[in-house]
Amino acid sequence: MITIECEKVSKSFGPRGSPHRTVALDNASIDIERGELLCFIGPSGCGKSTLLNIIAGLAEPTSGEVLIDGTPVNGPLPRKIAFVFQESALFPWRTVIDNVKLGLAFQQVPKGERDDRASEALQAVGLADFANHYPRQLSGGMKQRVQLARALCLGTDILLMDEPFAALDEQTRMVMGEDLSVLLARTGKTIVFVTHSLVEAVFLADRVAVFTARPGRIKTVLSVDEEHPRKQSFMKSAKLAEMRNELYDLLHDEVRKTMELRGEAGESGARAQSRGLRR
Amino acid sequence: MSMNVDSSRSLRPPRSLVKRRPRREERRLSPGMARILVILAMVAAWEIGARFFGDPLFVAPPSQVAVALVGLLGVKGVMIAVGMALLELVVAFAVAVVLGVAIGLAVGLNRFWRGALYPIIVTIYAVPQSTILPLFVLLFGIGAATKIAFGITHSVFAVILTLIAGIQNIDPTLLKCARAMGANRRQVLVSVILPSLVPTIFTGMRLAMAGVLLGVLLAELYVSSAGVGLYTQTFANSMQPAKLFALVTLLAAAAVILNELCRMAEARFTRWHS
Repeated sequence: MITIECEKVSKSFGPRGSPHRTVALDNASIDIERGELLCFIGPSGCGKSTLLNIIAGLAEPTSGEVLIDGTPVNGPLPRKIAFVFQESALFPWRTVIDNVKLGLAFQQVPKGERDDRASEALQAVGLADFANHYPRQLSGGMKQRVQLARALCLGTDILLMDEPFAALDEQTRMVMGEDLSVLLARTGKTIVFVTHSLVEAVFLADRVAVFTARPGRIKTVLSVDEEHPRKQSFMKSAKLAEMRNELYDLLHDEVRKTMELRGEAGESGARAQSRGLRR
Repeated sequence: MSMNVDSSRSLRPPRSLVKRRPRREERRLSPGMARILVILAMVAAWEIGARFFGDPLFVAPPSQVAVALVGLLGVKGVMIAVGMALLELVVAFAVAVVLGVAIGLAVGLNRFWRGALYPIIVTIYAVPQSTILPLFVLLFGIGAATKIAFGITHSVFAVILTLIAGIQNIDPTLLKCARAMGANRRQVLVSVILPSLVPTIFTGMRLAMAGVLLGVLLAELYVSSAGVGLYTQTFANSMQPAKLFALVTLLAAAAVILNELCRMAEARFTRWHS
């Protein structure tokens, strides 16, 4: 069953008719099945985060619309959608547990239930011992786990994640990816996950939507036929390597195009590429 | 390199040739002690300067000031004047902070009013207010009202401007995050905006304290027919520098204590910060 429908969603920034107006997203359409994990991947500025924000109701499309369970999105849907941000979106003056509880408080969940659900979520991400720490006392990986706990405890059907591991080092994100796969396999949530990492996309996703360079369109959608939770063996498999290579070929030209638009590619093109495409 | 102990030792230059930095526990002088020594040196310089080189009609050495200070504590009129000045400081500070935060929030949170009023506030803030002190006396008389009003105008604009700047610096991700989790306007204000502004409000309070001290004391000294101004005028005119210095010391001590209280409250309420 389809739960999220994006119908010809476009988004432009800047004043209408101005030469500075940029089209970030151009007629992006995709249907997202209930319970699947979909990754958005594409060059910087291709509008993948923009589309995610539009699905969340945090940004308005210039044209087109997004339907959640058949109803057009018209602002945030806190009971249906939880959002995990790229940068640490934790409230620095609140302890870990109070950060997790905040969303429940906004939605007027009774106090006792709030405590239970927040503790349970912290347990699930392995941070029960850090309930009374402040965010500044946590590592980057731990902060993102807290964000995940906060999103999970809201009990939404849909989880949107905007490059949640972007600020983490490769080894941390590897472990985070494995943990996420185990955790999410249990919840049965519909998940849309924005990433720059080819391996992360293949390792986590049921399907990978590849975006073109700006103006962003969905170029193609790849299916990853592998059971959840994904195992370490899958990370090392020829199948994953093959799909990563396929993604690499699909993205290579788009990334180069993006770099050339910005005047970044040239003699140092090879280096620029490896910066744009984390392999 | 060989692990042999003797050979590794022989690689080191002889001890006498190396200027070794003393380890922390070996250092005899701590920064705190050095500070006290500097202060003592300054007082000593003042004492010697005033005793042997100064004109006793205009300067008094600290030893005499200390004696005069004890004497002043027994003079009822002086104590009432200082107490009155303190009261004016506290009232002006409280009004400036409350008013400043309220106006700062109202103007800063509303894009329209921020655009309309911000330049006006900046302009008023830039006016050197001592030029209009006589107007305050005309308007409010020579009592506490003038001093409080002058203290407020010296501080309220700093609070407003600090708050407006602080509002602009609120992390947009936190606002977005609260919205995504279903916060309504009131919840955003209470759970995101106000806590984000706590360090800003304390910065404003520190500026307000400095402004209030300036404004109130300036008005106190200007209006010399009563209060602290009367006594400073009297002591200066009758060539009693020890008493004058003692009174100034008293006021300075009050200022230091008020600033310190402010700083302690800030440390208490922004522990999560840094």
